[in-house]
Amino acid sequence: MAVLEVVNLSKSYGRIKALDQLNLTIEAGNLYGILGPNGSGKTTTLGVILDILKPDSGSYTWFDNQYGDKARIKIGSILETPNFYPYMNAKQNLEIVRQIKQVDEVNFDELLELVNLAHRKRSRFRTYSLGMKQRLAIAATLIGEPEVLIFDEPTNGLDPQGIAEVRSILTRIAGMGKSVIMASHILDEVEKICSHVAIIKKGRLLATGPVGAILSSDITVEVAADDMERLQILLESKSFVNKITKEKKWLECLVDQEVNVSEFSSMLFREGVTPTHLVARKRRLEEEFLEITKNG
Amino acid sequence: MMRLIKLEYTKFKNHSLMLILSMLYVVFFPSIIFYGKEFNDLPDPLPGNIIFYKFPSVWDYQGYIGSWLVFFFLGLIAVFSVVNEVRYKTFRQNIIAGLTRKEYFLAKFYSITAISVLVTIYYAVVCLLIGMFHTKGWTISDAFNNSWAIPRYFLISMGYMTFGLFCGFLIRRSGLSILFYLIYGLAIDVAIKWLANSYVISHGAVRFTPMNTMEDLMPLPFYRFVDLIPDIDFNFEFLLTYWEASLGTIAWCALFVYIAYRSFTTRDL
Repeated sequence: MAVLEVVNLSKSYGRIKALDQLNLTIEAGNLYGILGPNGSGKTTTLGVILDILKPDSGSYTWFDNQYGDKARIKIGSILETPNFYPYMNAKQNLEIVRQIKQVDEVNFDELLELVNLAHRKRSRFRTYSLGMKQRLAIAATLIGEPEVLIFDEPTNGLDPQGIAEVRSILTRIAGMGKSVIMASHILDEVEKICSHVAIIKKGRLLATGPVGAILSSDITVEVAADDMERLQILLESKSFVNKITKEKKWLECLVDQEVNVSEFSSMLFREGVTPTHLVARKRRLEEEFLEITKNG
Repeated sequence: MMRLIKLEYTKFKNHSLMLILSMLYVVFFPSIIFYGKEFNDLPDPLPGNIIFYKFPSVWDYQGYIGSWLVFFFLGLIAVFSVVNEVRYKTFRQNIIAGLTRKEYFLAKFYSITAISVLVTIYYAVVCLLIGMFHTKGWTISDAFNNSWAIPRYFLISMGYMTFGLFCGFLIRRSGLSILFYLIYGLAIDVAIKWLANSYVISHGAVRFTPMNTMEDLMPLPFYRFVDLIPDIDFNFEFLLTYWEASLGTIAWCALFVYIAYRSFTTRDL
């Protein structure tokens, strides 16, 4: 079942095109990362599919339309900043969400325990730190057994400890088997949590698919030797080396995936070059992202 | 419907400003009229301050006082109920969490209707009690003579509160919405009426400005007694009839609700 189907969505703010014929399909059970630079249309996309923003044209469908305009009851979302009633405490705020979601009973204590807020459940929302507000927002998204969770830049503006806490909660939630849509420009975050990604820029979809498919299977090898010039000439002559980038202390080469590290090092020794540094790693989403958005 | 009213009530009962405004209304409404005891010598043709308290005129005086309190306290509650949520961005969050825009709007509308029902009941009870204690040998028919004031009071409450919602939903800025509500209600509406009468058309239609229409549901009762209307050349009766005022108020309510609803359901939030 498609959880969400977005067809030709366009939205402009004055002369600025925030979304330009965007298409996107999200299947049940996917942990979907929406990636894009700042201003690429991520938040606008989420705003439209949550009926906060009205699109100029195009359409979207939740859950194959089985809930009609009640679909959002089955979706737990955080859009931009956490928004609650500042004069109410955590429990009262969650009670509002419970009423909106039309859920009979919710164990608020258990929820607040999950996001480490049990000790502050009687404090007014306005007294919370940003990290606590964000955690309360995450707790609110879990009310009413949502089928989908939407997080927009969930760690934005948090201190390192807050980021670590939110990430560990997100990882736990991702393990519950729900579909997740997460917008972020922090690739590391998406790479750790998501199974699928969509990369958008200037309101257009540039690439989409499982993280493994977006990440090309090529391997990046960092290598250094005493004689760097000789090393470079040697590597340039090898056909399985696709690209060489000169870094400060080593050369970064993109090599075919069949080549493993031991073959690589024995090749170097055979040619009489002793490596002083040799690391092989899969390509990171970040490099792929920069590559894709550079031309988009 | 009860679900939406309950949701609004949950937001309302924890908000101290809302509680203060409603407490002030509840306290002021039955007490202000007793300030009239200070005035023993009323100018002719008024018979003396007992007129404030006995049947049937208690309905008029209490209604006139109430209409001002409704404007200041209940109307502002309506404005605040919208602009607070704009400021906290909870109006977006309510939609994101699952209310449809229509439900969100209806929750506000049902709530002001519920408040109007409550204050109308309160109005009727207070008028009856004051009248009973101040009318010698009253009968049931004395008590309810003039009780058409009860539905008119309901319309006053709906009128000011729908205008409050209108200011909140349309302007969506807390300071500006409140300012507009007060300035329009206290000055602009009067100015439009007088300027229109002086420069555009001297016709009874100028009395149908929104605030004037609502005020004429419960006009200052002296106007009914004396023909000492301010020195200005009106070619028509100074006050609207109760029927004109009632129908006019219903029309304004419908227009305010329609525009506010359109605005809320079609714009970006």
